[in-house]
Amino acid sequence: MDRREILEELKRVLEPYTENKELLRNINEQTDLVKDLKINSSNLVDVIIDAEAKYNIEIDFDSSEKMISVGSCIDVISDKINK
Amino acid sequence: MRNSSGNDLVYLPATRSERTRLPRFYSRILTAAEVEGFARFVGSGLPFDHYVWLCWSVKESVYKYQKRLFPELVFAPLRIEVQQIDPPCGDLDFYAGIVVAQRLVGPTGVASQTLFSRTWVRDGVIVTIVSEDQQFTDTHWGFSAIDSATYADQSAAVRKLALGELSSVLSRDDLRLEKDAAGCPIVLAGDQPLAIPISLAHHEGFIAYSFCSKTV
Repeated sequence: MDRREILEELKRVLEPYTENKELLRNINEQTDLVKDLKINSSNLVDVIIDAEAKYNIEIDFDSSEKMISVGSCIDVISDKINK
Repeated sequence: MRNSSGNDLVYLPATRSERTRLPRFYSRILTAAEVEGFARFVGSGLPFDHYVWLCWSVKESVYKYQKRLFPELVFAPLRIEVQQIDPPCGDLDFYAGIVVAQRLVGPTGVASQTLFSRTWVRDGVIVTIVSEDQQFTDTHWGFSAIDSATYADQSAAVRKLALGELSSVLSRDDLRLEKDAAGCPIVLAGDQPLAIPISLAHHEGFIAYSFCSKTV
């Protein structure tokens, strides 16, 4: 999967956790999950677990700490997919 | 060190209790020692998934407390350990915790800070405040239910609630709240930032604030 394909799948992962669907459709790599998409921090673990299932990967604790923006999420997911 | 303030709120019905009880979920929040620590609560009526969110609430509060002091900090629940948590007892109606937070300093260093927490669990709502002061002498806090669960309404309502208490404590009616570059809320009188650290939280139809009136 290239970064664009990962981004499109990531939108589906994030969809249940943000009320701003318009912004979600237009996210880019700089979009911050909490500050911009207003995802409640209590759902951040859900996002990681759902991403693991969606991409059939395992995201270790150190990597999950980096998943702050859409771009950093794609970095982590891309790295795990290509391992 | 400068003073700070940290709080958090979790509305338990909005969490997924079955998922929370899965090791692959809670192991991202609780250290092995914290999982073992639940043994103290077996038979207390506190379900394990509520314990997980109680610890989460403490850790999120600690993160908010530290984020104001160290703006580059990233929330890493496993670097914040609830070392002791005591259930409500006698006249105390809250869970009292002792928490040690570690943060990376430079390429290899680690700095630790010990904070104290108080957590109330009532009617499905978990509310936590943290402080360096175990007595919470100068900490003001409150929470409330609101009629809306949209982010904009939560945000407006928690600001209104906090400003009401701030105005009362500081005897001023020219206060407002903004966010700094790191995303931490700050109190301003007119255009002048005040040294009053404040923390805001909201989840579904509930809002909460805490601030420290002792300026250091």
